[in-house]
Amino acid sequence: MEDYQEYIESGRLEQYALGELDPAARAEVEAWAARHPQVRQELDELLTGLGVYAEAHTLAVPAGLRDRVLSRVLAEIGAEASAGAASPGAASIPAPAAPTMRVSASNPRPAETYTPEPVAGSRSGWAIAASVALLLSLAVNALLYSRWQQASTDLVAAQNSQARFAQTSQVMERRLTSTQEQLHVLRSPQEYKMVALAGTPAHTSARARVLYNGASHRVYLDVQQLPPLPAGKQYQLWALDKGKPVDAGVLAANTAAGDSLQQMKDIASAQAFAMTVEPTGGSVGPTLDTMTVIGNI
Amino acid sequence: MSDLPLISTPPAAEAALVDRLRARDQSAMTEFYDRYSAALYGVINRIVKDEDEAADVLQEALVKIWHSMAGYDHAKGRLFTWVVNISRNLAIDKIRSLQHRVGSRTQGLDDSPAAQRQAAPDTFRPEHVGLQEITSKLVPEQRQVIDLLYFGGFTQSEAAEELNLPLGTVKTRARTALKILAKLIR
Repeated sequence: MEDYQEYIESGRLEQYALGELDPAARAEVEAWAARHPQVRQELDELLTGLGVYAEAHTLAVPAGLRDRVLSRVLAEIGAEASAGAASPGAASIPAPAAPTMRVSASNPRPAETYTPEPVAGSRSGWAIAASVALLLSLAVNALLYSRWQQASTDLVAAQNSQARFAQTSQVMERRLTSTQEQLHVLRSPQEYKMVALAGTPAHTSARARVLYNGASHRVYLDVQQLPPLPAGKQYQLWALDKGKPVDAGVLAANTAAGDSLQQMKDIASAQAFAMTVEPTGGSVGPTLDTMTVIGNI
Repeated sequence: MSDLPLISTPPAAEAALVDRLRARDQSAMTEFYDRYSAALYGVINRIVKDEDEAADVLQEALVKIWHSMAGYDHAKGRLFTWVVNISRNLAIDKIRSLQHRVGSRTQGLDDSPAAQRQAAPDTFRPEHVGLQEITSKLVPEQRQVIDLLYFGGFTQSEAAEELNLPLGTVKTRARTALKILAKLIR
């Protein structure tokens, strides 16, 4: 019987997720994941975590670069699809200028070949007129082409800024929802009991409060003031149930700084709450001599 | 979380796009570009730290994704996870081949958590709001480890050496951080 728990703890899955493994080792991890749903679940969790981190860095491709990248990619994959197509560079040259060039190259030539003949007078007059018309047409084409390019750059810029606004409003909406949630917690004294946590003798200025709903078991934490943490440490909240400490979760950096309420782990029953300083990630049991605040319900 | 549409797309929604890419439908590539390029570009840009180089790597990555599509197996992970790995590997190869390594090591550490937090109040950059919210769930030590492993291309042992920490600590921090992040989209 294989011990999947030991395999999960081995650190192999993290290496897999971060792409540190060679193909043979990757296959081994995949085989374990296929045999044990627990390994699969753990691996998916790690991959999702990395995905969240990656996507959090989303950054709109700058307006000018977006066009360049997409057209080159399409040219490259298109050139391979159609046999004997031109090189990617040539394929990405915009088409509109080409037809007028062809017309201009073929038209004046007959006129020139006739010039040596005796009746050249009127013919060369036509040729000059045609050349002038052609030059004018080329100039207008060049002008229109540059305007067209400018317009498409403007469009891309406008699309980018629209995407940015959409992103901003999504973020704002999410913040609003979370603020409303916090407001609801604060404004429902009959649902949420407020438990003041006072500083222990070693940390007299520390203060925080827990908002506890005994019916839904929800726990929110609101920090007023906590001493700064040494490196590698994190605050952890504990519920005391009949004298026994129950882990209520660790404090995110912005909660410890007092920036916002944080929903902690659900607690079924408690008579008191306390907070200790634990190594990053939290501990299984509280380190009692680091207790910073405590309060009874 | 509403601003992480890619990692939280249900797998079924990705399947149609994957099928069209496999069928060599070029319009699918434009759609893929519109949906995924900003996320891929963000990761690449964070690694190579140069707009033009990042655009080159993005182009290379998209072409590679197009050609490797047959090798994608949805049973092994999400489309986003797969494409972001391709992009990240190309970006890391790029900085290694340019022998940026020494330079970006020091730079990577300098501009990681502390520097970004200081820069934040100056300008409101909406594309980074999601990032701040997400990384505020991590303590700086966790973030530093993840940054080195993910954007610096360090192995866990190299990161341990770089940060002067026991390997076990690096492993625990990486694992805890990833689990915290994964919970954000439950």
